[in-house]
Amino acid sequence: MRRTLLRDPIFMIGFIIFVSLLLLSIGNTVFRDGQVDQFLNRYSDEGRLIGIPPLEPSKDQWLGTDRAGNDLFQMMIEGFKWTVGICATVALGRMALGLLVGIPLAFRGARLNRIFKMVLDGFLILPISLLAMMMLFPSFFFADSTMVPPLLDRVTLQLTVFVVLGLPAVTLYLTTEVRQLLKQEFMIVAETLGGSVWHRTRRHLWPHLVPTLVIVFMQQFVQTLMLLIHLSLFGVFFGGTVFLFEGVRPTLFEWSSMFGFYFKQFTAMTWMTNHMFLVPALGLSMLVFLSNLLTSRLERAFRLRRQKSVVTDDTTSQAEASAATLADPFTLVHANTSFQQMNQKKADDII
Amino acid sequence: MNLIAQKSAQFFITLFVLIAISALPSLVAQLEFVPSNYWNGLQQQFSQLAKLDEITYYNVTAQRELPLLPALGPLMKETVIIFMTSLVVSVGFALLYAYFFYRSGKRVRTVLQQTSQTLEMIPDLFWLIFSQFLAITIYKQTGFDRIEVAGGFAEYIRFLPIVTLTLTILFFFLKWLTKHILEEEATLFLELARAKGVRPAALFWRHLLPNLVYRFYLFFRSNLITVLSSLLIIEYLFNVQGIFRFVVYNPVMPILLVILLVVYIPIFILDLLAEWLIPNAWKGGI
Repeated sequence: MRRTLLRDPIFMIGFIIFVSLLLLSIGNTVFRDGQVDQFLNRYSDEGRLIGIPPLEPSKDQWLGTDRAGNDLFQMMIEGFKWTVGICATVALGRMALGLLVGIPLAFRGARLNRIFKMVLDGFLILPISLLAMMMLFPSFFFADSTMVPPLLDRVTLQLTVFVVLGLPAVTLYLTTEVRQLLKQEFMIVAETLGGSVWHRTRRHLWPHLVPTLVIVFMQQFVQTLMLLIHLSLFGVFFGGTVFLFEGVRPTLFEWSSMFGFYFKQFTAMTWMTNHMFLVPALGLSMLVFLSNLLTSRLERAFRLRRQKSVVTDDTTSQAEASAATLADPFTLVHANTSFQQMNQKKADDII
Repeated sequence: MNLIAQKSAQFFITLFVLIAISALPSLVAQLEFVPSNYWNGLQQQFSQLAKLDEITYYNVTAQRELPLLPALGPLMKETVIIFMTSLVVSVGFALLYAYFFYRSGKRVRTVLQQTSQTLEMIPDLFWLIFSQFLAITIYKQTGFDRIEVAGGFAEYIRFLPIVTLTLTILFFFLKWLTKHILEEEATLFLELARAKGVRPAALFWRHLLPNLVYRFYLFFRSNLITVLSSLLIIEYLFNVQGIFRFVVYNPVMPILLVILLVVYIPIFILDLLAEWLIPNAWKGGI
């Protein structure tokens, strides 16, 4: 599995891009204290004013600056760990809670599971972003930029809402998956041999569940990212929206918030070719694409591993088959000569 | 009889759950979860259920409160037109693709599979921006201005939202179809049919496809939330006068309840129809 992934160039390239962005982002916080440079007016060598923010992309500012003069490249780097961190936390939270509810539930009867499914069915038709927007909007809109509550409170609440809203779908999926595994022959054997629920979960269920969990994690990651993007387009930025005189402003440098923020600054046509819009938009599209790419490569690696295990199964069954041909399988037990002879001998002894 | 009882129980349970969901916005207040607030919201939603016709919304053009239910018709119409058209178009394309995929050789298959896999990874957001960009570029180059980029007041925009949603749903379907065709191809009954000399076209349309219909429905049903999320953001960004954009602009609990019901009831009926109309043999029974 690990070897397959290491030998997969597409996976490795994607993974290296991902990790280096993350390291750069964390490095920015550690070494530069999360600072983003601001460039206001740009002057030529003779001291003539040649540009005011927003500056176009150039050699000095790779991706240009926004209207406040913030360097977009540094903002993207600084924001990457937030975006990835949020998505990963939410995905992990959903999966952990989903497993906590899903596995015990899967061991229960079919009736309870049917009722559970029926109850959660209502959650599967409503776009989560709509509900999240309605839940968060009143609490996350700050009219006064000096009265913003502490970051930890805001982040905790927002993450909780994201986790809880996505939980029903994940739980239902994991329960179905576990129930399907429980129907497999090796699970029935483990139960017949008297394995306790804990033992069966740990030794038999878990190894088969890990591939599914990795895939589910990546899917949830992308879904959370989409949720963040949708919310920021509705004007609810992660960490809260500050209402200013000239409009709204996010409180964190985070990709989806930046996207929504710059999107709101334009009307109609002008945004199409503007770097302030294109940088976060393309960045987010690339991030989604990258995560999907990694998912598909992981899926492939798991599939290859399964194929390999099928091959070993094949050889064992072949070995069994060849062993079976040694003794003719269609001879009747009583017709077995040695058995008969043995019985005959016994009978002779008694007589 | 048993089925009717079961289905109506399901309907009422889901109805209750939907009301509970629609009261969720009252749970969060001042950055905290307030259960008592939620309880009040729940009671309010229940009392609202008895007088659905009294729900009003603030109409910006008329500058006053108007009753919701009469206004819902045109909104519904837009959403349904966009959703259904994209669904029909993408199912049609998906079937054609599936047939083409089924009939083609190994090399073409690999190419098709890899292309659809790559396209599937691209988020709907990108299609959204890209299609608008394309429309504007076409306008700039050729002066062709019949493609609208955004809807306005009393102006309907349909083409681009339908294209975007179709693309989103289509790539979603292609991956599933490819995987399941490959799976079905190995089954014994197809082998037998092939051995008996059934033509490949008949093999696909008459033997392989019916087997997939019900599973395809289940797949679509369980991923409906993704499609609706896309629809929501498409309506919002293209300014489509549909129900989802309406809720975004009128984020109050009674309206959310009505929209939830409006979305759920057709899906429930569709579920019933699917169970009833799709023959047992197609569901894998005998």
